[in-house]
Amino acid sequence: MKRMFSVVVAVAVALGLSLASSVGAQQDTLAKIKETGVLTIGTRTGSPPFAYVNKNNEWVGFSIDLVEMLVKPEVQKAVGKSIKIEKKESTPPTRIPLLSSNAVDLIAGTMTDTPQRREAVDFSLTFFYTGAQFLVKKGSPIKGVNDLAGKRVAAQQGATNAKIIREKYPQAQLREFPDQPAAFQALLQGQVDAYTNDGIQLYGLKAKAPKPDEWDVVGDFYSEEPYGMAMRKGDAKFKAAVDAGLKNGFESGKYFEIYEKWFGPKGELPYPMTPQVKAYLLKQIGK
Amino acid sequence: MNYQFKWSVLWSGQSGVWLLQGLITTVEISALAWVLAAALGILSGALRTVPWKPARALATAYVEFFRNVPLLVWMFFWYFGVPPLLPRAVQDWIFNHGAEFWAGMFALGVYHGARMSEVIRSGIQAIPRTQFEASVAMGLTTFQAYRLVIVPIALRLIVPPATSESLNLLKNSSVALTISVAELTFQTRQIETYTAKAIEALTAGTVIYLVLCVGIAAIMARVERRFAIPGLIARGG
Repeated sequence: MKRMFSVVVAVAVALGLSLASSVGAQQDTLAKIKETGVLTIGTRTGSPPFAYVNKNNEWVGFSIDLVEMLVKPEVQKAVGKSIKIEKKESTPPTRIPLLSSNAVDLIAGTMTDTPQRREAVDFSLTFFYTGAQFLVKKGSPIKGVNDLAGKRVAAQQGATNAKIIREKYPQAQLREFPDQPAAFQALLQGQVDAYTNDGIQLYGLKAKAPKPDEWDVVGDFYSEEPYGMAMRKGDAKFKAAVDAGLKNGFESGKYFEIYEKWFGPKGELPYPMTPQVKAYLLKQIGK
Repeated sequence: MNYQFKWSVLWSGQSGVWLLQGLITTVEISALAWVLAAALGILSGALRTVPWKPARALATAYVEFFRNVPLLVWMFFWYFGVPPLLPRAVQDWIFNHGAEFWAGMFALGVYHGARMSEVIRSGIQAIPRTQFEASVAMGLTTFQAYRLVIVPIALRLIVPPATSESLNLLKNSSVALTISVAELTFQTRQIETYTAKAIEALTAGTVIYLVLCVGIAAIMARVERRFAIPGLIARGG
């Protein structure tokens, strides 16, 4: 049903898009921002802690903070005036069309930077890095992707990690569920021995489990999921401003403060940054 | 929208193998569930008409309970609800031996058994009461009358609606993908995620279901002709 809905939305947006493009698309995002004084971002409403509506009905999150505190100052510098951030909801099937139709200027949510998507949009520097891991019961013999022989592993159908398990680790008994709640329920009850998905998602599930202490997220990343901010393709000046904002954040340490606020021990979702990830992020700015 | 059709995705790569595997799983789960549904349907359908109140009440309770809860809920019930009632070692064993398939099979069979029951009851009730009375008058017990006279006639009467019900069962087997049974619809979605060619994959799935169902309908039409009782059941055409 949900899938059907996504298809309908995608088709509707695509139709709108073809109309919009015939009217004449604006290419220079910075000029547009200068004129309107507004940077419109497409983000999520239900992806804590990246972007979500909190208990006080405020639209907040890690990705939104990065835009507010790192990207906004750079864009203001580039256009020479103070600007406002406006937020619009975007979902996986709608985000690229929203961007191409000029409805939003920047996607800042939970979008993985992939080669296929790079054919349609440009990506900023990576601002978050996760990868597939396993959620298992504490004390499970599964410690990573090499301990799967004969084990029952749940995954979401259509996810990249399901594909990797099927192709590279056929000794595992793969069980594919259409959505996350069913797969998680199967893990809780012991129908499966492990559930695999992006590490950050697994930490979120663990936090929501009836008894979080009984579960562990294990294993090195066996897939790469770098999150980036997406922009219209070929707008070099705007991309430079966005990247400069993130780069300053990495250099000044401001980025890591924001990370700590959301993913630190007292944050919305504790997700310690591994040295591997930190090195990856800093390597982008030549460190 | 400019959609580029690329039908070759259906036979290149593993698509063909997946579709075949999906087809086999669909046929297996449907055939087993059908046997269960037929057995439960005949039993409860007959019980709903016998002259003994507790039996009628039991059969009615089964029918109303199982046909009035959505099939999806039954899938989750047999997969998530039933195993915790078993000892841990047994649970582990069945989880390693296709628990998904068997849970799906039971969900499908028990649900459609309840629906089949109504079809059979209407068949039995279409037989004039005198038929039953005559059987008893000839010295048959109630059980013998049902086994030798009433049910055999009823089964011949209900072939057309039972065929519809069987085809529904076959198509409803796709709901089992929610509990990770890799049947035909699951495999079409698999092709879609690998190739991003949704329309081709869905078309392949649709055509296979259609061929399967038309085939079954044709066989059932032959069965109907073959077993018709001359003079007793009026036939059109």
